[in-house]
Amino acid sequence: MISDPHFSHPLASRRGFIRAGVLAAAGAPALSAWCAALAQGADPKPAGSRDLPDFTGPEPNPFWNSVGPLVEEPQKVPLILLTDRPVQLETPRHYFLTTITPNEAFYVRWHLETLPNLVDLRVWRLRVEGNVEKPLELNLPELFDRYKPASVVAVNQCSGNSRSRFQPRVPGGQWGNGAMGNALWTGVRLREILDAAKIKPGSVQVQFEGLDRGRGPEGNGSNLFLKSLDLTNPVLDEAILAYAMNNRPLPVLNGFPLRLVVPGYFATYWMKSLTFIRVLDKVDDNFWMKAGYRIPATPRGTTTPDEFKTGKVPTIPIDKIPVRSFLISPDGSEKIPTGFPLLLQGVAFSGTHGIKKVEVSTDDGKSWSDARLGEDFGAYSFRTWQVAWKPRQPGRYQVAVRATDGGGNVQPDEGVWNPGGYLWNKIERQEIVAGSAA
Amino acid sequence: MKTRIQFALALPGIAILAASCAYAQHKAGQYESGDTGKIARKLSRNAATDASYDFGPFQLYGPNLPGGNGRQEVYVYCNNCHSPIYITMQPPLPADIWTAEVTKMRKTFGADIPDDAANKIVHYLQTNFTPDTRKR
Repeated sequence: MISDPHFSHPLASRRGFIRAGVLAAAGAPALSAWCAALAQGADPKPAGSRDLPDFTGPEPNPFWNSVGPLVEEPQKVPLILLTDRPVQLETPRHYFLTTITPNEAFYVRWHLETLPNLVDLRVWRLRVEGNVEKPLELNLPELFDRYKPASVVAVNQCSGNSRSRFQPRVPGGQWGNGAMGNALWTGVRLREILDAAKIKPGSVQVQFEGLDRGRGPEGNGSNLFLKSLDLTNPVLDEAILAYAMNNRPLPVLNGFPLRLVVPGYFATYWMKSLTFIRVLDKVDDNFWMKAGYRIPATPRGTTTPDEFKTGKVPTIPIDKIPVRSFLISPDGSEKIPTGFPLLLQGVAFSGTHGIKKVEVSTDDGKSWSDARLGEDFGAYSFRTWQVAWKPRQPGRYQVAVRATDGGGNVQPDEGVWNPGGYLWNKIERQEIVAGSAA
Repeated sequence: MKTRIQFALALPGIAILAASCAYAQHKAGQYESGDTGKIARKLSRNAATDASYDFGPFQLYGPNLPGGNGRQEVYVYCNNCHSPIYITMQPPLPADIWTAEVTKMRKTFGADIPDDAANKIVHYLQTNFTPDTRKR
C-alpha cells in the first residue's frame, strides 16, 4: 500500500479509533441510544424502523429493480435501498425514460462505511503526486479557473449492475438493473493535470484515491478504496475530473466535490470525492486491483462455478461496459387494451463506439424490427429509442430488446457467470399483457 | 490480547460512532436512524455561506436478523465495518459460500474476529441464510 503523508486518518490506530468514538458520541444521539441498547444485549433494531422486504433467490431476481424499500438519503429522492452503511441505493426503472438521469435519482454505491458527510473546501485539495516532476496541490477555484472546462455525456454503470440475474446467484450487492445512470459531466481533463505534473519516465500506472474509506486495518482493502489505470490506456485522454454533474455540483453521495469520469468504463474507476492522483512506477497491487473487480480472461468474462473452483481461470481487471439495452415503458405493470397505439421506449448504451442499432421483438425474439433512435449525445451516452406498436389480439407478449454497438457487438441471448457478478448484458425481456378492448 | 480487549470494549457501544469524527478535510461516516418512503429534500441544517459543505448524516434502517445463537456476534463483529443488511440483502447462499465470506472478512479484509466468534457467526449464517434454511 502506498503511504500517504498528507492524509492521516484518526481511526488508523485502535487508540485513535476509541478516542474518535468518544468525541463523536455527542453528535449522534440516535446512534448513541442504539449502541447503548446493543451493549445491553437488547434488540438492536433502531426505534421506529420496520420490517423490510429484503431478498430474492435462490432463483434469479424476477423484477427489473432490486427489491429493497424506498428510502431517503441526503440530496436524493427516495431510492431503492440495498445497504445503509455504507450507502448503496438503486435507481427505480422509470427514471431511465430520459437520456439524462437526474442527480437526485442517480444510483449510489460506496464500498466502505466512512464516506463523507461534510467537505470543507477551505482545506480540500486535489493532490497529484508520486512519480512526477512537479507535484500539484489544487483547490476548487484553481480547478474552475486555471484549466479549460471540458464536458462529456457518459453512462456510469456499476460493474455489478444486474448481479441478481446470476444463476447460480453470487454474493455481493444484489442489484437489479438500476445501478446505472447517464449525466453530463463537466470539469478538467485528466490529461491536462497529468501534463502539468509532468510524469517521470518509468511510470506505469496512475492511481486514484478518494474519500471512500473504512475502518479496517491500514494497508487493507477495508481501509481504503483505490483504483488504477495503465498510463498506456487511451481512455486517459478522455477522462475528466468532474466538478459538475448535469450543470450542478455533484451530490455528496455521487462524489462531491470532484469525481473521476472514465467514459466507456465501468464505474469502479470513476473515483468519487477524489483527493489524490498518484503516478506509480509499478503495477498497483492493492486489494481493489489485485483481487477485487476482476473478471475471467475469457470471451464475455464468463466461466462456470466448477471451472472457477479449479483456480486455473486467469483473471484481468474489469474494463469497458458491454452493449446493453432496456425497455423502460411500458413496464408490464398495466394491462394494455388490444389495438391500443403504444410507444415502446427505452435506452441503450455501450462502452465501445456508441449505439448503432436497437431492435425490438414482440414475439419473444422470433422476429425483430428496428427502433427509431433518439438524439445522439456522443458515444458514451444513453441513446434513447422508441417503437410504435399495437397489440393486435389479447395475449401475453414477450417483448425483447437487442442493441448493436459501433464495434459490431450485438447483445447476446445468453447470460454470463463469474464469481464477482459482473458484465451482465443478456437481452432483456418484458411480458406485456394485452386484454380485450371491448 | 490487550488489543482484543480494547476492541471488545469499543464494541458495540462506540464502534458505530467511531467514524463520526471531524478531521482536517471533512467529516465522514455519520449516520442516524432513518425511516422509509418520505420525500423531504432540503438544504443541510448548517448551510452558512462559508466553505463548509455539510450534507448531514446518512440514514440507518435496522436489519431484521432472525434470533438464535450467533446473532449477537454478528451485531458485534460484522456490524463494525458494515450494516448487517449486507447479510439480509443476499439471496440464499450455500453453506460453503458463507464460510468463505467470513474467511474473506477475516483474512482478506482484516476483520478482528476471534475464532470462537467466527465459528458462531458461520454457524448462524448457515442456520438462517442457505437455500434450505432461509425463511421468507
